[in-house]
Amino acid sequence: MITKKWEKNLIILTIIGLVVGSWGMYQRLAHGHLAMNYGSFVPWGLWVAFDLFFLGLTAGAFLITVLTYVFRIKLLADLGPLAVFTVLVTLMCEVIIISLDLGHPWRVYRFLLSPNIGSMLFWLVVFITSMWIIYVPWLYFLLREQLVAWGNDETRPGHKIYRFLALGKTAYTDQERQRDSRRSRFLSYISLPIGLIFFGAHGAIFAILHNRPIWNSAMLPLIFIVAAMLSGGALITFLAYLYQPSDELIQPLGRVILLTLLSFLFLEGLQLFVGYQSKITGIVTSLDLITIGPYWWAFWIVHFLIGSLIPAYLLIRYPENSKMVAVACFIIMVTFLSVRLNYLIPDMAVYKLEGLQNTFYHQRLRPEYVPNLNEWLVSVWVISLGLLTFLLGTRWLPVIQAGKGEEQPV
Amino acid sequence: MARDLPVEDPLVRMQRDLKRALQKNPKDLKWGMVIDIAKCIGCHACTIGCVAENKLPPGVVYRVVLEEETGRYPYVGRRFVPRPCLHCQNPPCTKACPVTATWQTEQGVVIVDYNRCIGCRYCLVACPYAARTSDFGEWYTAETAELPGKLYGQKAAANGYEAHPAAEYGRKWPDRDHDSPVGNARKCHFCLHRLKVGMLPACTTSCVGRATIFGDRTDPNSLVYETIGSPRVFVLKEELGTRPSVYYLK
Ligand code: SF4
Ligand code: SF4
Repeated sequence: MITKKWEKNLIILTIIGLVVGSWGMYQRLAHGHLAMNYGSFVPWGLWVAFDLFFLGLTAGAFLITVLTYVFRIKLLADLGPLAVFTVLVTLMCEVIIISLDLGHPWRVYRFLLSPNIGSMLFWLVVFITSMWIIYVPWLYFLLREQLVAWGNDETRPGHKIYRFLALGKTAYTDQERQRDSRRSRFLSYISLPIGLIFFGAHGAIFAILHNRPIWNSAMLPLIFIVAAMLSGGALITFLAYLYQPSDELIQPLGRVILLTLLSFLFLEGLQLFVGYQSKITGIVTSLDLITIGPYWWAFWIVHFLIGSLIPAYLLIRYPENSKMVAVACFIIMVTFLSVRLNYLIPDMAVYKLEGLQNTFYHQRLRPEYVPNLNEWLVSVWVISLGLLTFLLGTRWLPVIQAGKGEEQPV
Repeated sequence: MARDLPVEDPLVRMQRDLKRALQKNPKDLKWGMVIDIAKCIGCHACTIGCVAENKLPPGVVYRVVLEEETGRYPYVGRRFVPRPCLHCQNPPCTKACPVTATWQTEQGVVIVDYNRCIGCRYCLVACPYAARTSDFGEWYTAETAELPGKLYGQKAAANGYEAHPAAEYGRKWPDRDHDSPVGNARKCHFCLHRLKVGMLPACTTSCVGRATIFGDRTDPNSLVYETIGSPRVFVLKEELGTRPSVYYLK
């Protein structure tokens, strides 16, 4: 369980993160993309990897919301509002980091003025927006009862703000409770198809590109969905341990995570096997970059050993120990960035035309990409902002208190 | 037997072809290019001609000359493959763009609207030929020392050349700062601004080996049409089905 002291320490840490990261933000805002390391041959770098990372976290929280409100799994009911809130926080991080990656972020209105409905990226933006449209009111309907109660509690600091958030309401009738619960159920139903397409669409952005040998496969969207469920599921299990520690909840979640982890490793192994067996130079060179390239350790040590074998061992060896399950989930979650980078960079880091390396020399026209300090600092800033929003949200909004879940037996 | 000398410089013929093409209804016109690898001497003059014409900043290049080694020792060879944007007739890049900032004109030229492009770089990822580069806002004169009050120094040097962008797409772009085309995807546009006033693309006129042939590929009397008919013709990465408008002669 997260203690007040821990919470305070984490808040301090996020503030330090925001202060340190602001140097990177300053570089980005004042000098555009000049101070960053990606180029024209590896046009997408660390921030896109983080975008995928946050997406994964969104997916786990999404899964819990769907299981709670669509499939009405009672066990998870306590986590419902927290999961809905987590979806919003991770979506916020995703939107911020991807906007920073754009050359002209202020032109996003272009998605409305001149949309290209044939572009996967356009659809991704449509689905991100839809997720916001679904999840913001959903959170509100879930919290309303508590907001009214907090607004009425004059001893609570800031009760006027809660009253304002509750739109001035001082009473919450049974009728209203039923109406809000109907509304949130309706939103949960539409979130299911939208969410699934949203997570699949992320994979499809890469998979549809003919010229990208290791991305261009029908398996990629599936791998993306499983990857998202794995990293996000791990996040939610970890949060469950912190905020609603109950063995009955954590242990089954641990089993699901183990199963998802094994499925993911199986799919990943399959992709490597098929890729290597194809013996196509472009594919083999890209895969070699992952397995025996200069960053082999990111794959073998960070992802495979620390991020997969150790958590798998913990989950198999101590399935009844909630603390160990939570530790395993935490490790999976933080090491998952290496998976995202390994999916993203190697396909771009291979010259697609023979002789390209010997012509026009410029650091933006090289396939070797290593994120620089500024890129990391911006990422630290965004993560800190997300974490701070989460911590303050759980403190100032009744996301935990509202977690009685509507699916509990009355 | 020695080869016959050409009776006329191909540039003169292409210039005539261009004049004819410009008199046509623009709808019936399709620009095309043929690059004769056997004639390319690897001088990179086209790359530089293009960079100068379009005032490309560091890291942005529309036309590179690939250098390939062929054969095995001791039977080795070297060949040069200039690669502009291939102006694919089935372009993956335009399909990728989420905001329709890049498209194919009626004349088959794939262009970018700098004021519409949001700089997501998806088209860079989607182009199989690495023909697009992003303008990250770099300056050649960035490292030049400033000497206040003098006629030379960083500002003066920049003002003399790169601060004022070229009239790409026939438009007057504002002085180089944070605005477009900085932050945009950039690529070869067959020098549309030159074509408009009856001039061949900069790469074509600067080609020392006369390896670049340009013109209306639908005009049976044009040199480009004639060359596309050669049995030596091929396109890059044909298997991807992009159907480039830039052809090569082996
Ligand atoms: S070569 Fe690349 S940039 Fe040019 S049209 Fe084809 S896909 Fe687009
Ligand atoms: S970089 Fe510009 S032209 Fe390319 S896909 Fe993105 S918005 Fe379109």
